[in-house]
Amino acid sequence: MMNSSPRPPEPAPGDVAIRAAGLVKHFGELAAVDGITFDLAPGRIYGLLGPNGSGKTTLIRLLTGMTRATGGHAEVLGVRMPDRANLARIGYMTQGDGVYPALTVGENAEFFAAAYGVADRGAVQAALALVELADRRTALAGTLSGGQRRRLSLACALVHRPPVLFLDEPTVGVDPLLRVQFWGHFRSLVDAGATIVVSSHVMDEADRCDELLFIRAGRVIARGSGDGLRAEAGTPDLETAFLHFAGEREVAA
Amino acid sequence: MNPRRLRAIIRRVVAEIRRDRPSLALLFIAPILVTGLLTFILREGSTPAVHVAVANAASGPAAVIGDRLASALSYAGMTVTQVADAGAARAMVRDGGATVAIVLPATMASPSASVTVITEGLDPSGDASQIGAVRGVLTDAVASSLGAVLPSVTHETIYGTPSDDPMAPFAPAIVAFFLYFFVYLLTGVSFLRERTGGTLERLMATPVSRGEVVAGYTLGFGVFATIQVAVLLAWALGTVHVPAVGPLPEFSLGLGIAVAGSPLIAFLVVLLLALGAVSLGIFLSTFARTELQVIQFIPVVLVPQFLLSGVLFSVSSLPSVLQPLVAIMPLGYAVDALRQVFIRGADLSVGALQADIAVLAVVAVLFAVVASWTIRRDVV
Ligand SMILES: Nc1ncnc2c1ncn2[C@@H]1O[C@H](COP(=O)(O)OP(=O)(O)O)[C@@H](O)[C@H]1O
Ligand SMILES: [Mg+2]
Repeated sequence: MMNSSPRPPEPAPGDVAIRAAGLVKHFGELAAVDGITFDLAPGRIYGLLGPNGSGKTTLIRLLTGMTRATGGHAEVLGVRMPDRANLARIGYMTQGDGVYPALTVGENAEFFAAAYGVADRGAVQAALALVELADRRTALAGTLSGGQRRRLSLACALVHRPPVLFLDEPTVGVDPLLRVQFWGHFRSLVDAGATIVVSSHVMDEADRCDELLFIRAGRVIARGSGDGLRAEAGTPDLETAFLHFAGEREVAA
Repeated sequence: MNPRRLRAIIRRVVAEIRRDRPSLALLFIAPILVTGLLTFILREGSTPAVHVAVANAASGPAAVIGDRLASALSYAGMTVTQVADAGAARAMVRDGGATVAIVLPATMASPSASVTVITEGLDPSGDASQIGAVRGVLTDAVASSLGAVLPSVTHETIYGTPSDDPMAPFAPAIVAFFLYFFVYLLTGVSFLRERTGGTLERLMATPVSRGEVVAGYTLGFGVFATIQVAVLLAWALGTVHVPAVGPLPEFSLGLGIAVAGSPLIAFLVVLLLALGAVSLGIFLSTFARTELQVIQFIPVVLVPQFLLSGVLFSVSSLPSVLQPLVAIMPLGYAVDALRQVFIRGADLSVGALQADIAVLAVVAVLFAVVASWTIRRDVV
């Protein structure tokens, strides 16, 4: 599953869409995010990869300002989070679907459009067309299949055409054909200038990202392109590469 | 407060309830059913059959009072059996042969003379109605045996007329309680769904503010609360005669409870109460993980209000240690305000009513602020 479209050019240094500065989040004794610092340049797809419970969702919630950091801070498009007004420039597709089952597909998209302050009615139609739900507009969201609900959830996250998009495990439960389409959409959004952060606990789609961040126990243990990480670890696949970096940290610690 | 966003939330809340048929039924049909049933019970309740066992310890000429009492009780429509002594009377009540027993002392002339009334003791209100049934006849019989005639007592009230409709004092309280109950339940459950369904997290990831969420919910549920109050008041206060059609007999719809004041003021009072209930539902949903738990809060939060707000028990008859609690029950202010309007015919110039309305308004605002605190970005 190699990505056929060419990689975007390396961005100019100093151009930052998303910044994590020493982010720490404790839940009682547990450090769900344990000191994460990075700058993410605009116009690329970033993959947050790590097993369940490694802290991906918590990291995304910190970056979007949904939860307060125990330490450090996050910035999106130069604005320190949490910042309510800045949320109009951010799309967040949560790990759960987070759509209203009693509303129709169209009503869900319209509701989130209004919540994001989008007045343009065409935006709703465009978002639904993008996820191929335009013909299910009057269906109740509660009656959709799992994959369809996931698509609706994506439509609600990008109905306001945000320049920064966080997608928490967007392709879980989505059929393979649709996954390919999803990635096609992500790529076209990035080509249009968006910055996308995608999390996943499996490696099979990792090569569709421009850059990967391996997350383990609340820390970034490696960062680079898929090819770069494989080469650095000297392993044929990313799973083994992940184990390599995880072991390296263990030895270092 | 952004009007576009606010409108979107209101429309969403309204659309969700509108599609939820069971909740709609709960909102409109249940209160009508229950108030109707209660009214029927209070108005048409039949006096229970009374079977009196009379035991008289007096002998000689004084014994005549036993016969006189027995015939007076029979005259009043009760079944009477004269028995030998207190033991026989007690046995008769125990065995179910009598519902109440009266034991007369050996002499009435002594200042320590005491008449004993024996009931079964399993059902306090049943016992009370048994005692009530015999009391009047008993006091008359005893007085006349002592050569006295008791004057009759006439009951007058400053407001309204006494006991022409047993439902009249209950109606305001019941209307307020039902509204509070159903609005709390529906808001609590739908806000819980918002929290557990992940949509609140989604919503908090948009520029929507917590204040807009609370206001949107309050106004969205306010729409239904308004309709519910209007329907419930129309049902409680109105009477519509439906003429006989074909084989159906004629009947009337509505409870026809008299209201001395303006139904519009009553409407305002219940609406304020309902707005507070919306915020209460949002607030309590923070502490619930499942819909069942929202229901489990009812005995903790709503039942005490029911007991302490004068719905059933007069507030002034409550133990003094509970009085401070009474002062913080929003439902109590609504019940008092509605009684002022229904029975006293108070308008907005009456100080007591103004105070009630002011408290309800303050409570609604206070609860809304507290509710919006609980919609933290951290608490999902
Ligand atoms: N609200 C919370 N309260 C307590 N612990 C939490 C909470 N959210 C996440 N955690 C814990 O933090 C760790 C990281 O969770 P999460 O960020 O969801 O990981 P991932 O998304 O990578 O699966 C897990 O151990 C999880 O149990
Ligand atoms: Mg997760």
